[in-house]
Amino acid sequence: MTQELPESAGAEARRHASDRRSVLRVSGLRKSFHRGLPPRRRAIEVLKGADLEIHEGELVGLVGENGSGKSTLMQIVVGLLKRDAGEVERPERLGYCPQIPMVWEKLTVAEHFHLFAEAYGLDEGTANRATDALLEELQFERYRDFRVEELSGGTKQKLNLALALMHEPELLLLDEPYAGFDWETYLHFWEMSERRRNAGMGILIVSHLLAERDRLDRIYSLIDGRTVIE
Amino acid sequence: MTGFAEVGGSFLREQIRAPLNLVLLVAIPVFFVLIFANVLGEFAAALGGDLAEQAATSISAGWSAAFLCGALAFFQLNSSREADRRLANAGLGPWRVAISRIAAALALGVIVSVVAYLTLWLRSGIEHPPHAAIAIFLFAAIYIGIGALIGVLVRDPLSGSLLIVLVFSLDVFSGPSMTSSGSFATTPTRDAADLLIAAGVGHDSPSSDWIGAAAVALAGLAVALLAFWLSARSRT
Repeated sequence: MTQELPESAGAEARRHASDRRSVLRVSGLRKSFHRGLPPRRRAIEVLKGADLEIHEGELVGLVGENGSGKSTLMQIVVGLLKRDAGEVERPERLGYCPQIPMVWEKLTVAEHFHLFAEAYGLDEGTANRATDALLEELQFERYRDFRVEELSGGTKQKLNLALALMHEPELLLLDEPYAGFDWETYLHFWEMSERRRNAGMGILIVSHLLAERDRLDRIYSLIDGRTVIE
Repeated sequence: MTGFAEVGGSFLREQIRAPLNLVLLVAIPVFFVLIFANVLGEFAAALGGDLAEQAATSISAGWSAAFLCGALAFFQLNSSREADRRLANAGLGPWRVAISRIAAALALGVIVSVVAYLTLWLRSGIEHPPHAAIAIFLFAAIYIGIGALIGVLVRDPLSGSLLIVLVFSLDVFSGPSMTSSGSFATTPTRDAADLLIAAGVGHDSPSSDWIGAAAVALAGLAVALLAFWLSARSRT
């Protein structure tokens, strides 16, 4: 599958990365979690000075073992978790697709789009156009009026991804975004990501296993709380 | 304002669409007012209290609204925590999410109170209808606070449910005329219960009871707002 890719896309992006505006700059990020009650209370140091940079028009991977702190790093960038130390420079318009869909089981797909349009501050026309386009692009138009509890795992994940995309963010953060996708949707996901990368969006994909390395402009490994460029 | 109404309306629909919630909305007031009231009177006698049948019936309507609203507020917070955080982080902000959640909880409180009120009216009639309606809603508001507070403190649904039952039981069995001792005179619903008992038999209540019950209900709603805000904001 990787042979079908335009070989030059990643290389070109790498060549010109330094000319482009940075959309995410993380430096010296530290985070510990405190677990248990005294006297068994202990601190678990997850991030020990992680650094990471993404420019506009870059598709970057972040890999690491289970529990290495990938999702923690991403949640700090998004703003869902507070950091202990370090700096995060990120744009205001950011899209986040969490690993486990954060959605309401009893609400319909259309109601989710309405709620997130409200959160993103989109006017009705823009919200409707974005909703229609994403339902078509991710091929789940017929589930528009289905409640989340009635969707399959893969369709739920499509909604999870679509909610992160509907305001055309400058920076897109995807945490294991293709869990539950069938092969066709998986391939389609990469095509979508590349289209957006080519349009100037900065994208960070977190995964414990990245099979599509050729599609990425750069890969960071998170090892012992620090990032290493592969 | 439209935004709050839209988000709050979605949160309300989310709760009403659970079929079990709709069944409980009717079953719990019916159970409390028609069955629990008699048991409550017998318990009161056993504990040395002097809760009369009419008073027990009236207060049961308040307890049904309290129990339902406490449980609904707990599960509203518990089941939507992650999605609410994502929505707040996407740009809505924790305060707007919290206010929308409170609006949904209050709307549910009104629905629950209306069902409890109608059940009471059908069962025994109400001598002072407006007072009874307000008192039942005050029960609901107080327990919205208790349910949301437990929701933000306890993540496990089973533990949270048990804690609500425990608080509720302590509150019920230390209510007015339930025991011969006054050791529990400061339980959250004490003034609201006095109001409801008086309204059931057509007596007016002293203004201190109204002020006390309203203050506790407002405090309950403030606690609920804080709990929903804590749940929707960034974590440390």
